[in-house]
Amino acid sequence: MTELDGANAHSWNNRIGALVEHNPACGLRDNTKDHRHVTHKADYDADDRFELFLLDDGQQKIEHKEETRVPNTAIFTFNKEDHTLGNLLSQRLLKYEYIVFAAYKVPHPLFATFELRVSTDGTITPKDAIIKCCRDVVQDLGVLKNSFTTEWLGKKIVSEGEAERIARENNTY
Amino acid sequence: MDYDPEGGAINVRFLQADNQRANFIVQNFNLETANSLRRVMLAEIPTLAIDVVEVLDNTSVLADEFVCHRLGLVPLSSRGVGELLYSRDCDCDGYCDQCSVVLTLNAKCTGSEIMKVYARDLVIESNRPNDEVGRPVITDAEGTGSCIVKLRRGQAIHMRCIAKKGIAKEHAKWAPSAAIGFEYDPANKLHHLDYWHEEDPEKEWPKDEERINLDGGPANPDEPFNYEAIPNRFFFDVETVGGLDPDQIVVQGIETLQTKLASVIHELQGSSGGPDGMDLGGAQSPTMNGGAYGAADGGYTTPGYGGASAWGGAGAAQGGTTPYGATPYGGQGQGW
Ligand SMILES: [Zn+2]
Repeated sequence: MTELDGANAHSWNNRIGALVEHNPACGLRDNTKDHRHVTHKADYDADDRFELFLLDDGQQKIEHKEETRVPNTAIFTFNKEDHTLGNLLSQRLLKYEYIVFAAYKVPHPLFATFELRVSTDGTITPKDAIIKCCRDVVQDLGVLKNSFTTEWLGKKIVSEGEAERIARENNTY
Repeated sequence: MDYDPEGGAINVRFLQADNQRANFIVQNFNLETANSLRRVMLAEIPTLAIDVVEVLDNTSVLADEFVCHRLGLVPLSSRGVGELLYSRDCDCDGYCDQCSVVLTLNAKCTGSEIMKVYARDLVIESNRPNDEVGRPVITDAEGTGSCIVKLRRGQAIHMRCIAKKGIAKEHAKWAPSAAIGFEYDPANKLHHLDYWHEEDPEKEWPKDEERINLDGGPANPDEPFNYEAIPNRFFFDVETVGGLDPDQIVVQGIETLQTKLASVIHELQGSSGGPDGMDLGGAQSPTMNGGAYGAADGGYTTPGYGGASAWGGAGAAQGGTTPYGATPYGGQGQGW
């Protein structure tokens, strides 16, 4: 593998669609002549393609704010997360008897963030309730994964055996 | 568990399993987790796709940008993509062997026939971490793969394609699945749906009898409506694009979701500055901050990934050795 050198070695974004005058990596053509040598992003050239899932500089994954007007209540702002986590946590939390309130909202659809509001009955803090909830879901997913893997192998063996049997029968005739 | 009226363990039953699809039922599960798994499988499993193209020559009738876009959509094998870094996490400028796979496409039509250039004509140039990653996906009987461009006599195309790791949240070309079927309650016994109808929805809407029978049969008209009922059986139908095996899409979807949750735990516990007062029936709390997760890594990620990524040590919270086995629910979980 060759590395691009010198002036061309910097950001890809800057040279998208631009004529590249010299690129030793291409080797085959003399670009100082009339041959075009252009670099494209394979798709549209947005610089902010990561903004849905990469935290901004200095941004926290979770911001934690106590709700002072209501007891045992906190609002958690999850950055660079969406309904995948918001719905999962808020719905799951409702299944614990010590949860008094749990809901989430996406304040604006163009910003990848959601707010989760959790109230408990006081026997557990909202933060610990979320931690407990996450642990239980991770555990459920572990059980699911084990069952899935076992069943997949079983089903695969059965269907491969079936295909072999059919192939054998076809050969007989 | 309290949400599970039948009290059975979470389990999977397969309807179909082959190289293209995994059609299965998850039983004794819950809607929110099932739906989150579906969403993660759609958008957050890392795969490989062509992301930057250097156009050395293009005298075909298609514009450079047009061909580049097509190249981006060509499915590439993502088996072993875990051994590649995200390009943005890599120390290199632009791209290197640690974070990309380079493929070249070089074709010229010299005959009088129209020449088709296919995905099979992409030649891998770089040193890959394994023999599988980056290979164009070819599943058709002719062994050609998808058609990229057609050339007539004298036309030529020569491109250098840099394939990088990414997720479908960034661009749909990184989606591992062509489609994911997802359904629950096919008989609409829970009344989550309100069918539009002229006179009688029973007559006007088709019924999937097979599915309804798999889900406990049709509603009994003599029984009163159960307000407490919640869905607990989910039909998944995962079809792969070809870059990952269908079971791997599901397994990696589960792992990605576990990692996401582990990072939440890590983040919340980290801000408290140490083990909190919560008793989960075991002394695992202190190990939750990083180490234990890293150790439970199923071998999908290289050490480099763990170090450079924002998830830190929470690389993977899956497998039989997670500290979760010690939770009060551990006993139900079939000995893992
Ligand atoms: Zn690199």
